[in-house]
Amino acid sequence: MKKMIWSIAWKNIWRNRVRSLVVIVAVVLGIMGGMLMIGFMNGLIEQRIDASIHNEISHVQIHEPEFMNNEEIEYTINNYDKIKNILDTLNGVVAYTARSKTFAMVQSDWSTTGLVIKGVNLEKEKQVSDLSNFIIEGDFLENESRLPSIVIGSKAAEELKLLNYQIEDNKMAAIDSLQIPAETTAKLDSLPLKRYRTEKQFSKALAAVLNEHEMKQFGKQLINYFSFYRLGAKVTVTISDTAQIMVPITFRVTGIYKTSNDMFDGMTAFVLENAVLKETGFGKDFIHEIAILTTNNEEGVLVAKELQRSLPNYSVLSWKQIAPDLAYMSDMMEFMDFIYVGIIMLALAFGIINTMLMAVLERAKELGMLMAIGMNKMRVFSMIMLESVFLTLTGAIVGMGASALIFALLARSGINLSMWSEGFEAMGYSAIIYPVVSAGNYINIILLVILTGILASIWPARKALKMNPAEALRTE
Amino acid sequence: MKVIEIKNVEKIYNDSEVKVHAVNGVSLDFEQGEFAAIVGPSGSGKTTLLNMLGGLDNPTTGTIIIGGKEINELKGSKLIDFRLHNIGFVFQSYNLIPVLTAKENVEFIMQMQGVSYKERSKRTIELLEAVGLGERIDSRPARLSGGQQQRVAVARALASKPKFVLADEPTANLDSKSTENLLDIMEKLNREENITFIFSTHDARVVKKARRVITVEDGKVISDVRKE
Repeated sequence: MKKMIWSIAWKNIWRNRVRSLVVIVAVVLGIMGGMLMIGFMNGLIEQRIDASIHNEISHVQIHEPEFMNNEEIEYTINNYDKIKNILDTLNGVVAYTARSKTFAMVQSDWSTTGLVIKGVNLEKEKQVSDLSNFIIEGDFLENESRLPSIVIGSKAAEELKLLNYQIEDNKMAAIDSLQIPAETTAKLDSLPLKRYRTEKQFSKALAAVLNEHEMKQFGKQLINYFSFYRLGAKVTVTISDTAQIMVPITFRVTGIYKTSNDMFDGMTAFVLENAVLKETGFGKDFIHEIAILTTNNEEGVLVAKELQRSLPNYSVLSWKQIAPDLAYMSDMMEFMDFIYVGIIMLALAFGIINTMLMAVLERAKELGMLMAIGMNKMRVFSMIMLESVFLTLTGAIVGMGASALIFALLARSGINLSMWSEGFEAMGYSAIIYPVVSAGNYINIILLVILTGILASIWPARKALKMNPAEALRTE
Repeated sequence: MKVIEIKNVEKIYNDSEVKVHAVNGVSLDFEQGEFAAIVGPSGSGKTTLLNMLGGLDNPTTGTIIIGGKEINELKGSKLIDFRLHNIGFVFQSYNLIPVLTAKENVEFIMQMQGVSYKERSKRTIELLEAVGLGERIDSRPARLSGGQQQRVAVARALASKPKFVLADEPTANLDSKSTENLLDIMEKLNREENITFIFSTHDARVVKKARRVITVEDGKVISDVRKE
């Protein structure tokens, strides 16, 4: 019997093809809109979380508890060897590294800024952090000269005025590659071959020779083209030593990195661990932070719990505790996905109700006949409900298929938001979003669609059940 | 054996202020195997009487007993279930399910009764052959003529093994050849399988074939004639 009702319900959808197709197309478009929105938001958030974990915070961090309240240089982790033994045998740990972490004033010849200086073990650091992949100039501490090396973020470089601008002969010779009209580039010849230390100064100089339209159209491009990082510049890092006396150490900037998070880029610098030790008199246990990479994000939370049990005297934090904003985003994501699709389905529900109502009213006679010959209310109700669910589900499945196709295409290229990338990166988001939709999202949407189909059928089905078979049979 | 007993049935409609006595004190009995026609002009109470017989309407006073069961006591799903197992319906405008084939239309009612697949397939074929549509079992209603559709409807009415078949103006939309053909089939089923048929009709051809003719006027039975 069930099979027959399912079959009738399915066939009934196609009695009025155009009307059903209109609803189906609406559902397809609604679902596609919802899926793209979800994919985009998930991608945005997941990339943000992944970038934070892999470039900045790792999955788990261990600190001396006092260091968490007051990041003073003396709160070091003293028995790293014991912790190492635990980490080497713990399931789920992929790699770990120890760092020193000190706040320091950093001074270039032109400006000063405060940075967090991380003293790292190069080999181990590379296993835990992807940061070495984000080097845009120079290298990641691989080459030492007479002076110790420091790697800073692009934002810090700007603040230290190590991002300079200059019209150079070799760049002028290759300017055709920018595809800017020759009459515009010719005007640049009149600029003095001077070095500008800030974007503002260079922009002003450009504006003096270019007209307003040219500035608007090519200004940004030219500023980028003539910019360069002053690799090899010396900076002075002032750190307090064991006796709390401020010690200046001179470093050479050998690398500039740029992640999708401007705030991080403006705050963090990397040096080799021994570079700090030598000058400050701290011993080999000059470690403030152990960063651990685990097999995946969920595992990170479990590993943190496990470690905290083994290391009760230390503060062990998972990425969710280190960056509660990320944890909140991650937890909210699924809920928000539900809300998006929920709102879309609510809007679609009215269209479905209307269609089902028409379908019921124009079939009054047939429904009257079915009830007269002995189809009970439960069966009439299920038939109409199934019809509504099939109608909605057909659209949803097509919509999800189309979205999956779009995601497959976007998986390679991503959605490029570089038009607004400055805004995004200032907030720590990447400019190219790779939309992500999980199997869980698909299942949730299917459930929501079925629920919508059922809810949208209640009114039309009630209308059908209220019919008097004898009267319904007499309708024409 | 009495299939239907109608005792002092009255039906009053309270339309606005006017009370309409649609059926006014009717008592009738139908025996197993009857081939009876209820005739009367429009507004005579014929349809109301038929609706009450079919369990689609309740009498205001009086009782209707079908197969020993007083049906005005049945309500809701019990009444629907009673109709499913005891009454076969044939309607003026065939009322087949347009998305199902002839076979599925007949089978459907047995599925609702919970008849096994094997048994209902066998019976469906037998019934469609009995109404002369053995060749058209996989056709949808839209591909059948009016007469053929009505024959499917008769097969459907019989599929549930009802106590009687109620046919409301079954020939009103048919040409004379189809009418003749349909009446022959019903008469044959009546004679050979002792199935009880009750018609409401205006059609002289039906009246001619019927072995009992009940004439209703102003909600009352004014004549009840048995031929033979």
